[in-house]
Amino acid sequence: MVDITLRINGATRTGSAEARKTLADFLRDDLNLTGTHVGCEHGVCGACTVIVDGRAVRSCLMLAVQAAGHEVTTIEGLAPDGGLGPLQQAMWDSHSFQCGFCTPGFVMQATALLSDHPNADEQQIREALSGNICRCTGYQSIIDGVLLAAQRNRQGANREG
Amino acid sequence: MTAMAAERYTGASIKRSEDPRILTGTGRYVDDIKLPGMLHAAFVRSPMAHARVLSVDVSAARELPGVVAAFTGAELEAMTVPGPDALMALMGWAGPTPQFTLLATDKVRFAGDPVAVVIAETRYLAEDGCELVEVEYDDLPPVTDASFALDPGSPPLFANLGDNIARTHSRHEFGEVSATFASADRVSGFHIDVHRHQNVPMEGRGCVASYDADHGVMTMYAATQSVHVTKIAVAMRLGMEHDKVRVLAGDIGGSFGLKIGASREELAAAAASRAVGRPVKWVEDRGENLSASGQAREESFDVRAAVSNDGDLLGLDVKMVIDTGSYPGMGAMVPDIMEAMLPGPYKLAAMGFESTAVTTNKACYVAYRGPWASETFVRERVLDLIAKDLSLDPLEIRLRNVAPRTDPPAVMITGRPLVGVTSRESLERVAQLVDFPAFRRRQAEARAHGRYLGIGVATFIEAAPGPRTPEAGSGPMGNESMRLRLEEDGIVALFTGQMPHGQSHQTTLAQIAADEFGVPFEQVRIVIGDSDVVPFGLTGGSRSATMTGGVTLHGARQLKAKVLDFAAHLMEASAQDLLITDGNVWVRGDPASAITVSEVARRAAAGPFGADVDAKLEVEATYDGGEGGWSGGTHCAIVEVDVETGIVKVERYVAAEDCGALINPAVVEGQIRGGIAQGIGAVLLERSAYAEDGSFQSATFMDYLMPTACDVPRIEIEHLQTVPLDADVNFRGVGEGGMIVAPPTVVNAIEDALSPFGVRIYEQHVPPARILELIAAGDSGV
Repeated sequence: MVDITLRINGATRTGSAEARKTLADFLRDDLNLTGTHVGCEHGVCGACTVIVDGRAVRSCLMLAVQAAGHEVTTIEGLAPDGGLGPLQQAMWDSHSFQCGFCTPGFVMQATALLSDHPNADEQQIREALSGNICRCTGYQSIIDGVLLAAQRNRQGANREG
Repeated sequence: MTAMAAERYTGASIKRSEDPRILTGTGRYVDDIKLPGMLHAAFVRSPMAHARVLSVDVSAARELPGVVAAFTGAELEAMTVPGPDALMALMGWAGPTPQFTLLATDKVRFAGDPVAVVIAETRYLAEDGCELVEVEYDDLPPVTDASFALDPGSPPLFANLGDNIARTHSRHEFGEVSATFASADRVSGFHIDVHRHQNVPMEGRGCVASYDADHGVMTMYAATQSVHVTKIAVAMRLGMEHDKVRVLAGDIGGSFGLKIGASREELAAAAASRAVGRPVKWVEDRGENLSASGQAREESFDVRAAVSNDGDLLGLDVKMVIDTGSYPGMGAMVPDIMEAMLPGPYKLAAMGFESTAVTTNKACYVAYRGPWASETFVRERVLDLIAKDLSLDPLEIRLRNVAPRTDPPAVMITGRPLVGVTSRESLERVAQLVDFPAFRRRQAEARAHGRYLGIGVATFIEAAPGPRTPEAGSGPMGNESMRLRLEEDGIVALFTGQMPHGQSHQTTLAQIAADEFGVPFEQVRIVIGDSDVVPFGLTGGSRSATMTGGVTLHGARQLKAKVLDFAAHLMEASAQDLLITDGNVWVRGDPASAITVSEVARRAAAGPFGADVDAKLEVEATYDGGEGGWSGGTHCAIVEVDVETGIVKVERYVAAEDCGALINPAVVEGQIRGGIAQGIGAVLLERSAYAEDGSFQSATFMDYLMPTACDVPRIEIEHLQTVPLDADVNFRGVGEGGMIVAPPTVVNAIEDALSPFGVRIYEQHVPPARILELIAAGDSGV
């Protein structure tokens, strides 16, 4: 077992895990952060996406020990007061999801996208989210949610400007 | 009264009440459950398609630190009750019925068949234990296709069947089949194949089984489309009394027909929990999901069509064989639905239908969104093939053959009345939305530049629930029940056996109840997922819009009448003079008289009242579907095929749909788009692939390709003005239609794009490699 200390959602957390344990399993089993879902365990579906040091990462392909000393954000960390962040709100307004299993991965992937490309257009959004699989929606409502968040973001920036 | 009280929730795209938890990671899926002392199961699976099991040695696994138990198939058989598939038994299947054990004992029947289960402190350790299990196999010839399975000399998978026939051959005729074919101008023949593909919900199967030995009670946390069907399966296979089994379910990560009841692995996990006296969790990984959870379709059709020179489709004669894989479930029952539905909305004069189901060494058949969908694929493909032979436009041949809406309604040659069917309207609407002449000009221009565009249309109807029939509904697809109660905090609670897994019932049923009862949307609570408290029910078959929507509406009406009768007593007024709006009961014309419904409920609970007062503010409602009706519509796709790479791009997709009155348009459109995406995936990407030796070749998402955000276009949806049939309930099911009609829509468009190459398509799966083969084999030499 290896002792692991890392920053998760703004707080320092420690745990102890086998070297082979994935970050996804460590988050879910050891830290009870079950918002991160495991959909394929081979890095294709994107359900387990979290943000590590500002970049979207598949937590099923990263070992927990590799995350030691790094900054991890999970779906639980987007709106710590229990409410919804702007992207989550836009996705709610857009009826983005159905069963919700892929949702945390899409939200985290789109969070990383909007943080790098706040003005992303539809084609950029489709390409950025093409590594996340949703079986329920046909994607349009998810794309619309991200577009709405980007648009609100711009409107907010304009007002402030 | 507030402004909101005057508006209706029903019909509006009310934001989903499921979403705040789903968007914040606070949903509760089965893999999120942790119980004290919980162990984890992993299965040892057969690498062979068909083999005798000579020996299974779990002793080394049992020695591994962290492993608590390991069971062979024979050991598990001794702990459980062998038998048929529980769902088939529940649905009254009377055909050939394989008897089987939860784990393989004497032989394995597909690559992925579980032969042993290891129970350990963690999933990692359970998988380590699996590595230590030694199994000796002796090869048997694999039965990997239907034609071999039909051969009486093929080795039978199930000893109790004696052959590989899972549904005895039958032939039914409707109308004058031989006379129709004898007198027709033309008779065309086609062989059409629909390939094996599968549900692939993003959450696979899973459960946590927790046996309480002190009380002899099994509590099963399940991912299921019905807590009651799961409960029946557990009771049946574990030999328990029904009231000693409780099934609980929370959020479910999709299903599309996969999670009806309990699978062999879930039942094995339950048996293991009972044996070891600790909770056992089993959650399949994606490899297990793809190889062993179940697969769908794989049907072949020999079709003869009797046609007039003018393009009238007079008769169809179809011979189908369905390959139901091993451990057959409902696959053998599907031909009956296909037979009934094959005429669609068209005025066929005669139809013959033959069917046989076989069992083969592949994963078992499971229901997948519109299990009978191939009837639409075959019919809509045949119409296009005939249209090409006669140089007719695809819209024209459909408009020519679709039954007119008459009173009394036209009747399908297989027996059901086409009451309220708007197929003609949907075809006409598509023709308005998509400028066909302009497309043909653009198509010709593109071809001149070496670009190949195509347009396809297809029409379907779906019995969701279907027209009212004289016989009363019974069984899992029969009447729908609901208990409704006004709680003391003013909440209207609906107890339903529906088990939503993405369909948004928590929102849609609350919309209906809020309107009918007279409370704000937020004041309705949907209680699901506990077999001890909810009535029987099943989410599937596109039944919940009409059946559960209907029982909600009528149940809320009954509950309201009861509450008003009681309030009349409290308020010393006549019940006829009382209203409920916005959560308040008041005397008509006297807003100052208003008291909240929670006050009414508290007073009812406080009592006491005389024997003449019914203070129990609860009703049990059932609903038979009312006048019922059909869902349906026409879809249209425009595609571009790159003839160098075989890649198909869906450029535009239009759906003109009629699912009756909309409860929540955003939810309806989500169902339609999701189904279309699965249909596009089925045609262009997805295939559950087996090699000739029966080994499975698509056990990862690198091999089983799922449609992504770059494969599915924006989908334009038009809702048709429906024909109301019922005084109150005109919501119809919409869950399956997209998946039913998208495959022929897309294939028809591809064939149209490739018409300069003389390509005719007789199959549903046309990935790039296959497109290139079709072009190469085309008869044009372009």
